[in-house]
Amino acid sequence: MMDFLDYLGRNYADIFAHTIEHMQLLGVSLTIAVLIGVPLGIYLTTNEQLASTVLQAASIILTIPSIALFGVMIPILSTIGQGIGFLPAVIALILYSQLPIIRNTYTAINNVDPNIRDAAKGIGMTTLQRLWKVEIPNGMPLIMAGVRTATVLSIGIGAIAAFIGSGGLGVLIDMGISRGNQNMVLAGAIAISILAIAADFGLKKIQVKFSPKGI
Amino acid sequence: MIEFTNVSKTYPGGVKAIDDVSLTIEHGEFVVLLGPSGCGKTTLLRMVNQLEDITEGSIAVEGKNIHDLNKIDMRREIGYVIQSNGLFPNMTIEENVMVVPNLLGWSKEKRAERFDYLMDLIGMPPENYRGSFPHELSGGQQQRIGVARALAADPPVMLMDEPFGALDPIIRSRIQEEFMDIQKKLKKTILFVSHDIDEAIKLADKIVLLKDGEIQQFDRPAELLNRPVNDFVSEFVGEDSVLKSLNLYQVKDLQATLDLPAVEGSPDGKVFHPHDSLRHVLAHLLHPSRQYVYVEGEDGTTNGPVSVEHIEAFVREITA
Repeated sequence: MMDFLDYLGRNYADIFAHTIEHMQLLGVSLTIAVLIGVPLGIYLTTNEQLASTVLQAASIILTIPSIALFGVMIPILSTIGQGIGFLPAVIALILYSQLPIIRNTYTAINNVDPNIRDAAKGIGMTTLQRLWKVEIPNGMPLIMAGVRTATVLSIGIGAIAAFIGSGGLGVLIDMGISRGNQNMVLAGAIAISILAIAADFGLKKIQVKFSPKGI
Repeated sequence: MIEFTNVSKTYPGGVKAIDDVSLTIEHGEFVVLLGPSGCGKTTLLRMVNQLEDITEGSIAVEGKNIHDLNKIDMRREIGYVIQSNGLFPNMTIEENVMVVPNLLGWSKEKRAERFDYLMDLIGMPPENYRGSFPHELSGGQQQRIGVARALAADPPVMLMDEPFGALDPIIRSRIQEEFMDIQKKLKKTILFVSHDIDEAIKLADKIVLLKDGEIQQFDRPAELLNRPVNDFVSEFVGEDSVLKSLNLYQVKDLQATLDLPAVEGSPDGKVFHPHDSLRHVLAHLLHPSRQYVYVEGEDGTTNGPVSVEHIEAFVREITA
């Protein structure tokens, strides 16, 4: 125990730097994932057939082990000189985030009370007005829940991306294992856990703030 | 004014939901579409604001064929109230009520003024509810707000799809009466769906009784009750139709058919007001201890006596 605290005392700056790296990776990939997943989820509510195909594809992506996905991307992205590093990690996290984000958005919009939808239509809202004024606000808690799931998922998978040189807290675990340094592994693991809990908590606050008061 | 001309709707597969309906609802008239479930009443209503397509025929609102109008614009000019109130849970009461004026781009001042007016109209103090959310209100209050929302942009025509159907009987009856008072002031052209004959009798100027998408009878409530045109109508109005229809007649209607002498001294029975319903009078007279009642005359006299026989004679006349 003393040993571990001693390690933390000597390496806190390094751990902090890796945490920042990890958050950058998450920030970039989640922003892009939301920008793709939310509009796609909304669009799918208008196209039932495409919806089942896309949701199935997203489910399949989630079952691919992350190491395998990185492996597949190396030769592809090598053609543009980005086989390892930040870019493949971001792409992987975007792909893994799609299922929770698309599925929750799709369900949120589809689950809006048909009576409310009918009233919105009957009083003369356009399709876009219904979406902005009624369907998205009422679906907000569920959409945000999807983003939270995607975040926690990405924090975990982001650690594995250290193997392809993306940086982040996974580096501590990776190096700790190869050097047989238990304290290093422990520091990385604990930092990732704290990050996951903090992100989930923070997003929950955001969810409450952005969800309309009346629902 | 709403005019249906030979309107039909056939679903793919040949099921006819609406079969050659022609109907004119005059300006300021309150018409109830009545019938068992599946008779097409809601479909007929939803055709007016183009939530349902028409297969054949045409509908005109305020003299304009609805097919020539922009769907979105025409819906904003028609009030629409549904059973489960359809209030938007994410909006405050003010936002809910003012949703159509907002879409129409009214100024903030004009909206606030209109909100106050409407809330006073439905008997809910505007200041107490402005910032509340729908879930904080009781079912009856939510339905009142639903009515206020439909009235917001002062539409000449209102469509109401069983608006009071989900309320408990006591609240329903109270809101029906409030709504009648509002209608007396505003004189909207109203098309109202109901499956409840008592509600229809209470509210309607005229009733359209539908079965399998066809009009069975289009008449004033008293006519429908007392002079049903076919077996379906007489069965639908029920065996107590005469009793129900007495609700629609007042003491003064009875007086008009009789020439009652004025009573000297104090009458030996209850004295009814000219606006009391005949059903009320009959219910009073049916008690074995009472033989006669009296009615107030126009010039402050008390006329009578009136007995059960007089009401029987009146019923013979209205059902003849």
